[in-house]
Amino acid sequence: MISINTYLELIPSLLDGAKVTIQVLLWSLIFTFIIAFIAGLGKLSKWMVIRGISTVYIEIFRGTSLLVQLFWIYFVLPLFGMELSAMTAGVIAMSLCYGAYASEIVRGAILSIPKGQYEAAIALNMTPFQRMKNIILPQAFKIMLPGFGNISIELIKGTALVSLITLSDLTYQALTLRNTHVGLTTEIFLSLLILYFFIALPLILFVRWMERRVQVGRA
Amino acid sequence: MTIWSWDYTFEVFPVIFKAMWITLSATIVAFALAMVLGIILAVLRRSSFKPLVWTIIGLSEFIRATPPLVQLFFVFYDLPFFGISLSPFVAGVIGLGVHYSTYCAEIYRSGIESVPRGQWEAATALNFSRTQRWTKVILPQAIPPIIPMLGNYLISMFKDTPLLSAITVVEMLQTAKIAGSASFRYLEPFTIVGFLFLVLSYPSALLIKQLEVHLNRRKKENKAKKSKVKDVAPSC
Amino acid sequence: MLTTMSKEITEKRIQTEKPFVVYKKVSKSFGDLKVLREIDFSVYPGEKVAIIGPSGSGKTTLIRLLMTLEEPTSGVIEIDGVPLWHKEVKGKLIKADEKHLHKMRGQIGMVFQQFNLFPHMTVLRNCTEAQVKVLGVNRKDAEDRAKEMLEKVGLGTKLDNYPSQLSGGQQQRVAIARALVMRPKVMLFDEPTSALDPELVGEVLDVIREIAAEGDMAMILVTHEMEFAKDVADRIVFTDGGKIIEEGSPKEVFENPKSERLQSFLRRMRK
Repeated sequence: MISINTYLELIPSLLDGAKVTIQVLLWSLIFTFIIAFIAGLGKLSKWMVIRGISTVYIEIFRGTSLLVQLFWIYFVLPLFGMELSAMTAGVIAMSLCYGAYASEIVRGAILSIPKGQYEAAIALNMTPFQRMKNIILPQAFKIMLPGFGNISIELIKGTALVSLITLSDLTYQALTLRNTHVGLTTEIFLSLLILYFFIALPLILFVRWMERRVQVGRA
Repeated sequence: MTIWSWDYTFEVFPVIFKAMWITLSATIVAFALAMVLGIILAVLRRSSFKPLVWTIIGLSEFIRATPPLVQLFFVFYDLPFFGISLSPFVAGVIGLGVHYSTYCAEIYRSGIESVPRGQWEAATALNFSRTQRWTKVILPQAIPPIIPMLGNYLISMFKDTPLLSAITVVEMLQTAKIAGSASFRYLEPFTIVGFLFLVLSYPSALLIKQLEVHLNRRKKENKAKKSKVKDVAPSC
Repeated sequence: MLTTMSKEITEKRIQTEKPFVVYKKVSKSFGDLKVLREIDFSVYPGEKVAIIGPSGSGKTTLIRLLMTLEEPTSGVIEIDGVPLWHKEVKGKLIKADEKHLHKMRGQIGMVFQQFNLFPHMTVLRNCTEAQVKVLGVNRKDAEDRAKEMLEKVGLGTKLDNYPSQLSGGQQQRVAIARALVMRPKVMLFDEPTSALDPELVGEVLDVIREIAAEGDMAMILVTHEMEFAKDVADRIVFTDGGKIIEEGSPKEVFENPKSERLQSFLRRMRK
């Protein structure tokens, strides 16, 4: 019975953590999608060098582990004179990692556009850039959306890792609180999970809605 | 300070390599758990008792949308309050296993749903028993396409095992971190860990892709006629 | 009546003018498969040529080379005396770059078997996008021209519809308008009615007939519709096994086929 009031006192510091989490999330989302387009288009480039660089980047970041990448960027880069804040390191690691996954969504969507669309654009004498920008990407973008939604949910889950490089995000705050209020462990962790769920909820609803729309369209 | 020390590399490599067995055994045990729990979730979702179905759906969405790291903390730090004290390894395996079971359930479901309705009807028409319908008709068709999907999740679970370091499981990353903080050299240990992950996961991913291509080709041959019809109406 | 009159005009032209499109010993292979074998073929300004032949005879590939959708394996294609796939540098022909192709493509238009309308654009937008982006026409003028052409193909009331809301025949008519607005000098039709339900074939053929009757644009039609080919074309080209076996006026080809292969093809088509 001691707990209710104590518990309520904990809420503000959790919300402070949520602010950091959302900040990391938004920055990472922006860079993830920028990188996804660059690497996804790069892997489709007609120049072998660009294709090669994109492939190596994608395979390295998909083939290793987010936490390993995060530690590498946070602990190793300073050795090369690149002192990064935990926030910057977190955003860089997450964007590079999820950008690699999202680039495959970009690539897959572009490849799924029927050949006839390219041919019609050629027949209308559009330049390769115009074909991509006006004909292919607008159609491919719709196909990417559910995938982007899913990646974003993964990204939200991934943000929790920044707590391990001492960034005071939601998870970090919860761990700190737990250290001082061990008796409230259950309440703290459940609130933590619920907060993450609410951050993800709009995206979950969006993805489910998109999936249903695609299914209806197919039937 | 030289950038990369090979001497140090050869010194820490065996230490980290040894820890790989912890990583691998955690992956295998956790994935086995995920596959079994996944079956249970998938079966419960087919129940005719709606509240149960909704609970399962809600719970799965919740588990899938929240960070596995937090779930690990929950299992490791919170279950002792309910009288369940677990070693870091067991807590880690349970945490990852439960998290991934929700994905496995989803995969099973998609496999079963990919079997056309006509197959159920044909099996019924041939008067197969309920068990026979499943074992002779549905599962043989539902299982092959989900194998590559399960494979992909196995790899992603493998890549999630460094999370276990947060609950003090001494797997590869934790070993590297301990080595790094002792020597103040992080470059080599972390690079080795990354390298080992890449060396294990990349070929596995290629293998699964191969399998997928193989299965798709088989499917395409069966559906050759159907796809021809589809080609005629592209612009919708 | 308009049709026959314009035919006479074009026939006169053929005698006086130089060919607009010329294929010189053009071959095309896909891997080991030889689709075209040393084709020599020309089209005169304003001429309507129908290409007939069994499927797999290379007739579609023949026009896809001209639209730059496929690259010839050997040989040269010229448009108005300029090589299409090559550039002349110091008397030698080298492979052309995208810039050269872009310059040349402006003279060619194409209507596809599968329509290939842009599903994310309205009918009007389908017909204005390239005018604005490629020709640099301002949007207002582009829309006026698009409306005029859509009117001509009988779809002046469907401007704001999306392709998915139209029947196959309507979609193909939009595709024709979309190609027309670009004012090509040669228009290619790749089996424009093959993907249509039988009852929708007529409306598309009627539109093509009408355009053909206007006379000033050359047309190459790959088609299985023999009656239509006979009506519209000044010249019929019969291909088989990657070669041009026989060509001539519709009368010669349909009423007095010389080669055994054309005879048996026509027999099969009449059945």
